[in-house]
Amino acid sequence: MSEFTREGLEPLATIGNDTPRIDAIERVTGQAKYTRDWKLPGMLYAKVLRSPHPHARIVSIDTSEADALPGVQTVISYENAQVVWGAGSVNGGRQYNDPTKEATIHRRYIFNNPVRFVGDSIAAVAATDRHIAEQAVSLIKVEYEQLPFVLEPEEALADDAPQVYAEGNLCPDFRGEFAPMVSDIGDTEAGFAEADQIFEERYETGFIHNAQMEPRCSLAHWQGDKLVLYSPSQGISNCRHDTARDLGLEDHQVQVITKYMGGGFGNKNQNQDADVIAATLSRRAGAPVMLEYSRREDWLGVHGRWPTVQYYKVGVKDDGEVTAMELRAFSGMGPYRKNSGGISGMDAYGCPNRYREISPVYTNRTTSGNFRAPSEPHGFYGVENMMDEVAYQIGMDPVEFTLKNMRRPTEEQQFTNYTLDEVIQNGAERFNWQGRRRVTPGSDEGPIKRGAGFSFMMFRAGVGTSSAIVRVNANQEYTLYVGVTDIGPGAKTTMGMIAAEALEVPLSQVEVVWGDTDRCPYSVGESGSRTTIMTGIAVVEAAEDLKRQIADRGMPSGSDVLIASASPTPTTDGKTRQCFGAHFVEVEVDTRIGSTKILKYTTVHESGRIINPSTARDQIRGATIQGIGQALHENLLYDPKTGQPLTPGYYRARHLTHKDIPDIDVHFIETDDGYGPFGAKTAGESGIILAPAAVANAVANAIGRRMTSLPITRDKILGAMA
Amino acid sequence: MRDKKKQGNKPDQDPAVKYVDPLNPKQQSRRDFLEGTGAAVVAGAGISALGIPKAQAQSTGSDSRTAINVTVNGTSHSMDVDDRWTLAELLRDELDLTGTKIGCNRSECGACTVLMNGQPVYSCSQLAVWADGATIQTVEGLAQNGELTPVQQAFVVNNGPQCGFCTPGQLMTATALLNNNPTPSAEDVKEALVGNLCRCSNYNAIVEAVVMAGEEGGVA
Repeated sequence: MSEFTREGLEPLATIGNDTPRIDAIERVTGQAKYTRDWKLPGMLYAKVLRSPHPHARIVSIDTSEADALPGVQTVISYENAQVVWGAGSVNGGRQYNDPTKEATIHRRYIFNNPVRFVGDSIAAVAATDRHIAEQAVSLIKVEYEQLPFVLEPEEALADDAPQVYAEGNLCPDFRGEFAPMVSDIGDTEAGFAEADQIFEERYETGFIHNAQMEPRCSLAHWQGDKLVLYSPSQGISNCRHDTARDLGLEDHQVQVITKYMGGGFGNKNQNQDADVIAATLSRRAGAPVMLEYSRREDWLGVHGRWPTVQYYKVGVKDDGEVTAMELRAFSGMGPYRKNSGGISGMDAYGCPNRYREISPVYTNRTTSGNFRAPSEPHGFYGVENMMDEVAYQIGMDPVEFTLKNMRRPTEEQQFTNYTLDEVIQNGAERFNWQGRRRVTPGSDEGPIKRGAGFSFMMFRAGVGTSSAIVRVNANQEYTLYVGVTDIGPGAKTTMGMIAAEALEVPLSQVEVVWGDTDRCPYSVGESGSRTTIMTGIAVVEAAEDLKRQIADRGMPSGSDVLIASASPTPTTDGKTRQCFGAHFVEVEVDTRIGSTKILKYTTVHESGRIINPSTARDQIRGATIQGIGQALHENLLYDPKTGQPLTPGYYRARHLTHKDIPDIDVHFIETDDGYGPFGAKTAGESGIILAPAAVANAVANAIGRRMTSLPITRDKILGAMA
Repeated sequence: MRDKKKQGNKPDQDPAVKYVDPLNPKQQSRRDFLEGTGAAVVAGAGISALGIPKAQAQSTGSDSRTAINVTVNGTSHSMDVDDRWTLAELLRDELDLTGTKIGCNRSECGACTVLMNGQPVYSCSQLAVWADGATIQTVEGLAQNGELTPVQQAFVVNNGPQCGFCTPGQLMTATALLNNNPTPSAEDVKEALVGNLCRCSNYNAIVEAVVMAGEEGGVA
């Protein structure tokens, strides 16, 4: 079930009403055109050759047989195509910062030598036919000098560890300095001295592939000096800018088109090596080139959530007041740094003494990068299991313990609004927390044990610059131009609804133009939970401007049109803007076979005002299910002896299927803090933050053993019970 | 070998260790894979005894083509197909029916599901030549004269697609289910659609939509 509480909010005409997606018909009839569905005259098909070794120097490469295969048009490799893929490795993982990309020490090329993980790209072929390209790749002869490799981040920092780079395995920060990321607030030493008890524990989390249904692909087509790129991007403006920089072009020389795209969850934010490889092949072949990755290539060659090791230390008084928190952690980034390696969660507590030190580390596993709430789910799992354990150890209810210790507004740092108490208490009541949790964990008799877990979060819902254009003609037909793509959450429809509301016209009078950098203005990209807020604010501003023009000049007549554009840079007046949430889950663990079943799942979120109830509901349900997968199943395992990945693919990573899915209750407490478009905050990433923490806490409550390693697979439960 | 002089620097490589293609560690060709597991795949996808002629499944080389007759969404086609094409390639590349999606190309995800003689199959794991004499229905063949089927309509109303990439496959399996069981329960739907993955994890909404379609009268 889903429920929306709108106490005190004025009802609106369009916003808040369940609205089918404006492109729903295309999506259910097969008419929606995804990148691989395009076909251009004379189009070639491309394939990439990848490293079979976790770490090796290429001694020689011989492409002569591939070159000679009838149908092969172009073969490129690390020898003759040395193009930097700027978004593939960035100092400090600062993905959106050009100067940092320029200054990056460990650059990633579209083809690399040495190769640093199984799946690192070496060469590519364009041919008249997909199968010929595949065959040609198999004809390329490569001689490797195998090098020692390292897979685990902690081991990688040992003195005698194999070196991924000559400078060592600690990743450089955004200044290019080889140092961990440190945040030191208050005085932890004094805080621990004040504590009655101190608890310590090690937590670890796995590598979770984004695994979007559409494998990475790219279609490049040169028109003179202009590159037209059809790419499944979740940020066409960023993709254009990145691609232009990599190829030495001006932004306006690249047109990125993303009509429909099959999911991303963070792995299509910037441009991808596929874009640069396809563009390079196309330029050399003088023909359009479609580069298609296989599922296995996508699994190994793109990226997923970074695996972590987290050592927590928490000091607490007998009355439950937390006096000091410390985290020393390691994030495995693979051999290229695409993102920060962050581990969030401690900031959700108000404890004045907090020390956090995270070492992002190079390894010879596949690359880590953005996945829906990049720093959060693994961090909230770690810290909220730590705190859950502390609560039970000192005999407190974890919900009470949280209400006592969670971060609250202060004079120094105000919030635009703060509803976390209400969110948590509402959830506890709906779920019947007191009735479902075991006061003594693991106290059920018999081998089948039930228990309940809880988690809470706050997550950024900040404002920022984006753009929109809106136009009206004499027929009172409105056209909205926004540089968004719809990666699943429904951005096109959301933007149309915001425009309709602001223009005070029905949605049917608004046409939305999207997904083409030549037709649409800059938009922030469908990442970082920004589109609804930032592009939404721009839509409202453009609409307000257009309404003023109509008021001043009247509706246009004849062939006249009125046009308004906006690129606002809003602020929150120094306040922090957050969305809030709490999840409650009951599980049943069969300790004989180690299986975990979800019996009840209750979510409560405050994401400001909800624009479209059904798509917001399914952002929470979908994200929660992804989080359950992270909690119980998904991981990319490696063979420590050979460095070979063992579980790439949906079956091997054991992704959830229809039969694994519980009912998930979704409740939104709607508010309007006056800062978002009609008060909207963010929903897309927030749901996944909570699920791993809540599920792991519920398992611990059921079996009376703290599960300190994700995913909580059957073997781990059996091991804990042994 | 372009760079012979560097070969002197080779480490202590075990000559017994053979080259392993990381993207195909068992060194299987796609055809080997299909021949080895085809029966299981076919059964798993819910079809049986299609009578696939063994001879047509043999490797016949890259230039080999076979004449087939196949009816797709009510239109019959007589054509020469490359023996290494999958049914998904035939539909997408030759007939321009790109609604059928390729998510894994190895029978894992179900995005490519079409109905073959009324039964759902993974078209990525059927060779085009096996479709000789068959009747195929794809997502483009559901709506007639612009009128959506009840299950398509239910997907529209209940937010069935998120990114939409798995949607055609979900719809085709759901259509086969509803043809056999016009009023399925949620459990029936989950059972039938278990081979259709959705990484947006929009499973709840999809099941609700299919149940809704059943309640509203089954597929026309």
